[in-house]
Amino acid sequence: MGLMARPSNLDLLQGTLDLLVLKTLTWGPAHGYTVASWIQRLTDDVLQVGEGSLYPALHRLEERGLVESEWRRSENNRKAKFYQLTAAGRAQLRAESQTWTRFASAIGKVLQATEQPA
Amino acid sequence: MTWTRLPRIFRPTARAEVADELRFHVEERARELVESGMDPERAREQAERRFGPVRPIEDELVDSTRRRREREDRAERLMNLRMDLRYTLRSLRKNPGFAAAAVGTLALGVGAALAVFTVVNGVLLRPLPYKDPERITMIWTWMPEGYALPLSSGSFNLLSEAQTRFDAVAAFRAWRYGFSPPGSAESERVNGARVTPALFDVLGVRPIAGRTFTRDEAVPGGPNVVVISHDLWQRRFGGDRSAIGRQIELSGQSFTITGVMPPGFTFPRGAELPAPLQFAPRTDLWTPLVFDSDAVGDFGTDNLSAVGRLKESDPRPAQAEASAIMRRFLDANAPSLKTDFKLVSLADQAGKDIKGGLLILLGAVVIVLLIASANVASLLVARVSQRQRELAVRAAMGAGWGRIARQLVTENLVLSTLGCALAALIAFWMTKGMLALVPGVLPRADDIGVDWRVMAVAALVAIAAGVAFGLIVAGSVRWSHLAQALHAGDTRSAGSVRQRYGRRVLVAAEVALSLVLLIGAALLTRSFLELQRVRAGFNPSDVLTADVGMPIAGRFDPSLGPMWTQRFNDVSARLNAEPGVVAAGAISSLPLTGGVEYGGVHVVGDPMPQPGEMRTAQYNVVTGRYFDAMRITVLRGRAFDSRDDAPGVRTIVVNRAFARQRFTSEDAAVGREVRATFEFTPNPAPRMIVGVVDDVKQSALGDEPTPQVYVPQSQHSYPRLAFVVRTDGARLTPLGAVTVVRRAVRDADRGALINDIRTMDDVVSQSLAKQRFSMTLIGTFALIAVILTIVGLYGVLSLAVRQREREIGVRLALGAQPGNVVAMVVADGARVTAVGILVGIGGAIAATRVLTSLLYGVSTTDAMTFVGAAAVVAAVALTATYVPARRAAGIDPREALTAD
Repeated sequence: MGLMARPSNLDLLQGTLDLLVLKTLTWGPAHGYTVASWIQRLTDDVLQVGEGSLYPALHRLEERGLVESEWRRSENNRKAKFYQLTAAGRAQLRAESQTWTRFASAIGKVLQATEQPA
Repeated sequence: MTWTRLPRIFRPTARAEVADELRFHVEERARELVESGMDPERAREQAERRFGPVRPIEDELVDSTRRRREREDRAERLMNLRMDLRYTLRSLRKNPGFAAAAVGTLALGVGAALAVFTVVNGVLLRPLPYKDPERITMIWTWMPEGYALPLSSGSFNLLSEAQTRFDAVAAFRAWRYGFSPPGSAESERVNGARVTPALFDVLGVRPIAGRTFTRDEAVPGGPNVVVISHDLWQRRFGGDRSAIGRQIELSGQSFTITGVMPPGFTFPRGAELPAPLQFAPRTDLWTPLVFDSDAVGDFGTDNLSAVGRLKESDPRPAQAEASAIMRRFLDANAPSLKTDFKLVSLADQAGKDIKGGLLILLGAVVIVLLIASANVASLLVARVSQRQRELAVRAAMGAGWGRIARQLVTENLVLSTLGCALAALIAFWMTKGMLALVPGVLPRADDIGVDWRVMAVAALVAIAAGVAFGLIVAGSVRWSHLAQALHAGDTRSAGSVRQRYGRRVLVAAEVALSLVLLIGAALLTRSFLELQRVRAGFNPSDVLTADVGMPIAGRFDPSLGPMWTQRFNDVSARLNAEPGVVAAGAISSLPLTGGVEYGGVHVVGDPMPQPGEMRTAQYNVVTGRYFDAMRITVLRGRAFDSRDDAPGVRTIVVNRAFARQRFTSEDAAVGREVRATFEFTPNPAPRMIVGVVDDVKQSALGDEPTPQVYVPQSQHSYPRLAFVVRTDGARLTPLGAVTVVRRAVRDADRGALINDIRTMDDVVSQSLAKQRFSMTLIGTFALIAVILTIVGLYGVLSLAVRQREREIGVRLALGAQPGNVVAMVVADGARVTAVGILVGIGGAIAATRVLTSLLYGVSTTDAMTFVGAAAVVAAVALTATYVPARRAAGIDPREALTAD
């Protein structure tokens, strides 16, 4: 079951999901299904994206000018909507991933701390 | 990025697009599950479950999809526009001759139209700068003979006391003051008006500083108070508020400044009121007009203009009431008189004389605009027919009809924007030029200029013209032939029959329209020349004139008469003694300056006329050697001399028209006696006719001879006379006489005011200002029209030759002589011209009738003018065919046949 059933994690996901989508699109244009599959595979299904909730994220990114879309033929010759990163999207990804990494390492430090700070 | 997009009409709705995107996801998931061995039924079920509920997501995405589409469409339109613009500029640069012709033609046509529109708007349409101007109306005395006169003090007071339909009525009259600023000995002439205090209420204008004068101040023996204009305040007091309450000297008396009027308030203004009232172009100060007990009962001196503010917008009740007041008064005092009051709205009054002329001008400029538009349209259509192949290539590369049409509209928008920007510049200069032609003649002219309204009209015209021309051009593209154009490589086809015919009709129309204008211009010019040949009755060359006024402040006091007589005689004597002066004299109303006075003249011995049926004559007071100075021929008897200055002598000189009207011949007039009722005494003694002089045009050169009489100044004093000084032109020129006149006047009376120094030639020329205005402008428009027509004709013919190059080549190859080819092309042009000329003559016969009131001594259907103008148009049209004809004859058959 996807995150739709566990709304407590939704807030965290909102920003994180955008970041993950941007990251996956650095490998090239992809349609929503591919993006969803990539994210699931990479997170070893730990972060199970509610597949439906991916699409509002994609549209939101497009409206912010971070990705752009286009209808094309898919690998098995079906019409699909492909998304790709814009220059602004790349810049955004760089900035966000730095923030994220710093944030994650900070949390990690706290969680791995063995003694109480003085 | 390749952005392959479906044509818009095949594009799915936003909801369908969203549904497609989401369905793809689910189906893809199901397909993957099937591939991993799941049963299709279950795979679908699981895919849908993993996706979650579709509907809420779909709803969320529809909006963002719509927004995205709008963004894209906008971006696309912008990109197209940029491409179109770039493309346009490139194609204009490639063909600068075409661009210059189209832009220039448009600029000339639109510029002329804007300039005329500016003036018409400024004079006729723009509201007057007073409160509720539509309620302000002038009030005149209306004579049964059908002309208007100013009011007398008596009739003004009669009306103002009895009326109930006006909020207020006010009287005013022009008054010139010698103004000496504080601490300055030099006096300046200032145009003032004496007005009743109600004037400011009638016009609804308040002072910006201080106050206007009150009813209590405008009484006999009241204080000397003055309200000054904003301009005078700025000019002489530097806009200093302390000017209020200051004492200034006006014509030797001290006045207190009570207020300053707002900028632009200069009522009354000469060009807006009948010329004989002698108002200056603008008024700079206002003093109270005071009625004493005598004036209230004076019904004989018609010297007041009156203006009232209506209580309601309909003037008819007020007119009816005013007529009733006059009727009641006449019934009680002089039942046989049929005098009336007449109300004329201020706006009509201001625009009355000039309206006809301006509307004719507007008509003329519309013709120019039509010709210019026809030219540009024909130029553009011709060009697009040369571009068939280029358009075909674009169509082949996928541009649709709409895309190409939009491109054409963009091109024309660029052209028309350039044209109209240039037109605004032309309008700016042309408006200035037009106004400079008629100084002081055009009402309200001093604040006319090209303003934002005119610019807005220019912008609108640019857009409308661009779109219209673009659509015309797009409509003329032969879409069904575009593909063939590409195959056949035939850019030189002769064009569709309809198209060729259409262009010829356009050019024929241009020929017709410009002929109408040319005939109009020729008629005006002939009339102008006629006017200059008119016998004015005097000889203006080598004569200087100057207006000399003795200082008078406040009430006009005839008891000062002997003093004025003595001063003016002194000035005359001094001038006549100057070396180089042939003769000098003076007159009360100088001919052709607008001044004219009528008075009743009764021949002693004739039966007494009924009251109000006294026959009148123009009268003038003269002094010195006026008739010699003006070279007015003395036909019988003598001019005035020192004999007429003797006490008790009463003499008069009449003109030919007067003599013929009253005595059948000039001879019979001399020695007879007349009574002149214009004298200030109620029952004047008779005067003896001592001479008969030639008729003089008093008001305008176009006037019919009118009965005129002259009285010597020594027998009938006047405070203001116009001096005329004839110089020998060698020792002394008219301009050299300026200092002579100034010195003579100053030596006779230091306080006298000298104004309007100019040569008599200038006076004559100035009197023709309106005629010169119409003639010059319509002449200019006719010239522009003819030039544009030549350009149009030339364009059509040279295109025809280019399109028929191959055909002409064949003819030449088959043995046709170059002469035949020339004849063929010339005949083509001649046919178009002939049709245009025929239609134009018909149009001119109908149209020139509107010129009737502007013409003098030439009929509106003057055959010579018509034939002459038609010949000119025919000649220039044939000249326009020459170049294309030569080109046709010079075609090399081999090249023409192998090209493309």
